[in-house]
This record gives sequence, C-alpha cells and structure tokens, in this order.
Amino acid sequence: MAAPRSNREFVEACIKSGDAVRIRQEVDWDNEAGAIVRRACELEAPAPFMEKIKDYPGFSYFGAPLSTYRRMAISLGMDPASSLPEIGREYLKRTNSEPIQPVLVDRKDAPCKENILRGADVDLCKLPVPLVHDGDGGRYVGTWHAVVTKHPVRGDVNWGMYRQMMWDSRTMSGAVFPFSDLGKALNEYYLPRGESCPFATAIGLSPLAAMAACAPSPIPEPELVGMLSGEPARLVKCETNDLEVPADAEIIIEGEICPDYKVEEGPFGEYTGYRTSPRDFRVTFRVNCITYRNNATMTISNMGVPQDEGQLLRSFSLGLELEKLLKSQGIPITGVYMHPRSTHHMMIVGVKPTYSGIASQIAQLAFGSKLGPWFHMVVVVDDKTDIYNWNEVYHALCTRCHPANGIHIYRNAPGTPLYPFATPHERKYSIGSKVLFDCLWPLDWDPVNDVPTTVSFKSVYSQEIQDRVTSNWTAYGYPPVK
Amino acid sequence: MNQWEVFVMDVAELAEGQDIELTIRTLNPGLHKYTYKRVRAQVSSDLKKFPDQLQVRLGRGQMSKSRFSIKVLGDVQRMPAKYL
Ligand SMILES: Cc1cc2nc3c(=O)[nH]c(=O)nc-3n(C[C@H](O)[C@H](O)[C@H](O)COP(=O)(O)O)c2cc1C
Repeated sequence: MAAPRSNREFVEACIKSGDAVRIRQEVDWDNEAGAIVRRACELEAPAPFMEKIKDYPGFSYFGAPLSTYRRMAISLGMDPASSLPEIGREYLKRTNSEPIQPVLVDRKDAPCKENILRGADVDLCKLPVPLVHDGDGGRYVGTWHAVVTKHPVRGDVNWGMYRQMMWDSRTMSGAVFPFSDLGKALNEYYLPRGESCPFATAIGLSPLAAMAACAPSPIPEPELVGMLSGEPARLVKCETNDLEVPADAEIIIEGEICPDYKVEEGPFGEYTGYRTSPRDFRVTFRVNCITYRNNATMTISNMGVPQDEGQLLRSFSLGLELEKLLKSQGIPITGVYMHPRSTHHMMIVGVKPTYSGIASQIAQLAFGSKLGPWFHMVVVVDDKTDIYNWNEVYHALCTRCHPANGIHIYRNAPGTPLYPFATPHERKYSIGSKVLFDCLWPLDWDPVNDVPTTVSFKSVYSQEIQDRVTSNWTAYGYPPVK
Repeated sequence: MNQWEVFVMDVAELAEGQDIELTIRTLNPGLHKYTYKRVRAQVSSDLKKFPDQLQVRLGRGQMSKSRFSIKVLGDVQRMPAKYL
C-alpha cells in the first residue's frame, strides 16, 4: 500500500478501511463540527468526513485525521493493524534514509490554485473556519496545517504547525513559541529590523506533510515529507510571495507576519486537555491572498483530553526523535516511549545501566535538546522493563525510584504557557521546571546481595515448573489464557 | 440590535458611565460571526440603556453571568495603515 499523497487520497483510504465515516447530513461550523471531532477523539472512533457544512456549500471537513495509530499506519502506507513498535521502526528507518528533494510543479498542475481570491475579495470568512470549542477566543483557521516560512539569511524552509485564530476577515493571530523555528527567525531577524515576514498557511495537507510540520526533526520539512513518503513532495510557487507550498493542499492562505502590530489570541482548547494559556497579544498574520481547490476540505484537529493527534502524533515523534538523539550519543538505550495519555509530558527511556549517572545524562540531553520545552518528566527504567507496558513502568517507578536520591529537579528550564501545573507567573513568562525519575538500581549496590530480586512467575520458578503449571492450567480448572 | 461578546479577566474592566476601549466580537448570525474589532464604547448593566447587547467571557472562555447593553461609539484602528 502506497502512502496517500494528498488529504483526499488519505480520506478515501480511511473510509475504505473503516477508519473514517462519511457524514452526509448538514453540520454546523459553529460548535457542532468541533463537538463531533472531540467525541470521535474521546471514543477513538473513525475520523469524521463531513460533506455538507452549514453556510458553506461545496466545502467539507475532515476531523481527527491522525488521532489513532491505525490512521497513522495508513498515512505511512502500512497495514492499519501494525503495532506501535512496528510503526516506530518504520518512521526511524525512513527518517534515517537519504533526503528526497521536493519538486516544483507548474501552477496549472497545482490543484490548490483552482480558485484564487485577491485584493478586496480576500475574506477568511469565505472559508468554513470552525469554532472548534465553545468558549474559544475565536474561530481557528489553523488546527491541522503548516505555516510555511523561509529563513531570511540561511534560506532554509520551515513548515510548522502553529495554531492560527481568525481575528477578522484578513487578520489571524497565533501562538508561535519563541523556541520554535519560526519563533527564532522572528525574534532574531524580523522583529528587530521591523521587517514583515512572508508566510503561507497550507491546510488540508497529505497526512505525512502534516506529520512533518509537527515533527521536531531537524530535517527541512519538504525533504522530510519525501523521506517519509518515498517520493518527492510536489510544491508550487505562491501568488504573492516567493514561498513554495504543497501543490495538492486544499487551501493556501498567503500573507505577511506583522513585526509591529499584535492582536489578541486565545483562549483555546489545548493538547493538555485544558484551556491553560492566557489570552494574550500574539504573533499577527495579515492575509493578502487565498487559493483553494474545488470542493476544498478543511482539516480540523480538536485538542482536549486524550486522545487527539496533538497527543498521539507528538508523543510518537518526540519519543522517536529523542531515541535518535540518545543513540547518536552512544547511550545504550533500548528505546524511548511517550504514552499519548501523558499529553506528551512523560518520556519513558529504557537503558542498559552500564555506568553511574546514565539516567541523569539522559535527562540532561532530553531536557537540554530542542525537544525539551515540550515535556517535563523523564522516567528512566532498565533494559528488562518493557517501556511500552505501562504496568511494568508504573511498577518500576513506584518501587525503584528512591524518593530522596532518584528524583532530580531542574529549575528555570524553557517552558510554555500551556503547562496546566505552572503558576500564572510561569505561564506568562514560559518558565518551566523538569523532573527526572531515575528507576535504575544504583551500580554501587552489590548486584547479588543488595539489589532486590524481582518476584514474578517468570523470574522465580524454574523453566520446568513454569512449563508444568502452564501446560496444566486448564486442567487445574482455569479458562485458557489468550 | 447587535449582539457582541468581550473577553475580560475581570468584569470590573467594563467600567460603566465612561468611554472605554474594547476588543469585541460579533455574535450576529452569518459568515462573519466571531470576528473582532476594536471600538470605543459605553456599557451599562441596565440592559435597556443602550441599543446593543454585550455578553462577557472570562479568562479561559467561561461565560460570565454579567450581561451589559453597549453603545459602540466608533471603531479604533490600531493596525498600521501599510497593512490596510
Ligand atoms: C495540533 C497541533 C498544534 C500545535 N500548535 C502549536 C502552536 O500553536 N505553537 C507552537 O509553537 N507549536 C505548536 N505545535 C507544535 C509544533 O507543531 C511543533 O513543535 C513543530 O515541530 C514545529 O516546531 P519547529 O518550528 O520548532 O520545528 C502544535 C502541534 C500540533 C500537533
């Protein structure tokens, strides 16, 4: 099965496999569509493809695109039943492969140019921008999208998923954190010079383009899409600036980021499962042109309590990017896993404890890396603990982590305004703090006499006794073990 | 009659009996529902005093029980002219 090359191919593949449902009755953009997506996330139900939107004939919505591992497997062209470790291995294999450069296509071959609004015709309200959650600060144009920009000096291209709220017909505001690639370009270059930064927001991307836009990978996203999908990403020039955008996207919004003007943004339902970050004056986007496909589909991610793609996909890619980083440092890890229900706050790392301080080294690399602002807990377990099995990790955490010696707190780290536990002051200034739970037996304990031995069926009985008991299990009167 | 909504941290920000500047969004049905503008206005807790209605939301989007009537005195343009 090939990876879907567009959102349309992805919707079709999901409908075919039973991972999306076609909703034919009219749905209101004002809360109803958002509520459908939210419920689908909480029930881990098929993704809703809403074909008829009130006030917006010809447009459709696709919600919760990647909020299950099944849909993630489909997006990679894999069997939907693939296990998480299998999907992870495939991601690592593809993202460690040779870069595949994008190709530039002619405007006439770019479906995103089928309709073009310029000048006085530009009005974001002509798009079915949903009110995702009741009480949000606005209708959110960008919830599952890529904001395309280019570094003014280095020339490298950045696609980032930074939420964007519609403020008025031509203005959006968004949360672009200062440690993100776009945040750095704005703070280092555009804002001090008072220059506006050209941008293009692409909505209704192929699932792998969306995955690339929110992956914390150092590889430029257009190349990353190529590596993930095995073929070059198709790009096309914008109408009003020099940027290049995915030719098969459903909707493109072109404009400039204002260096000298800000409007309010938020509050908004966030991946933590709360509305936490305060409404504030944030990065402001002025829109100059809108292009879109015929019968365009707007993609919606509805973040809230688990499980949505904010948690699922970000846990996945943050965990795997940390795995790459730790391996690149030669640390003998068995793997890294983030449970989506931690709302990507807890990194679980398995390691062969070959030297003292290894957990601390892992935590410092993790928190000190580009990935660090997005999580605040690292749990390090040994190589015999199955990092994917929460029961085992929980047992290790509660029994091996010394309350005085095993918990290490790091203060004044980078944070975000989104951390629910952070004080109002910390949220305002993005001040974070972090914690390591070291669940490794100390190496200065005698391995025979000091380290406790695990007491389990598999560890304390001889193979002969285990075989006798398992083969007699039903004879003892128990139902068979699946 | 127009329906408007405002976000405040504290309802006391809506001082009665004076001209105040607010960012309000329209709740009138239609394609432009929830779009904002910055205005000069007067508000009153007497719902009949001014022609339009103002609904209030607090810091995290919670609906306030306080309701106001509002008179929009004029638009305030903060955006630099080069972007208009
Ligand atoms: C649904 C969704 C919404 C996101 N919203 C934001 C956002 O508003 N601001 C932000 O800085 N990052 C946001 N992220 C995380 C970024 O997409 C992520 O950090 C990505 O790697 C882009 O950052 P970079 O420019 O540092 O590479 C979001 C991720 C997802 C999945």
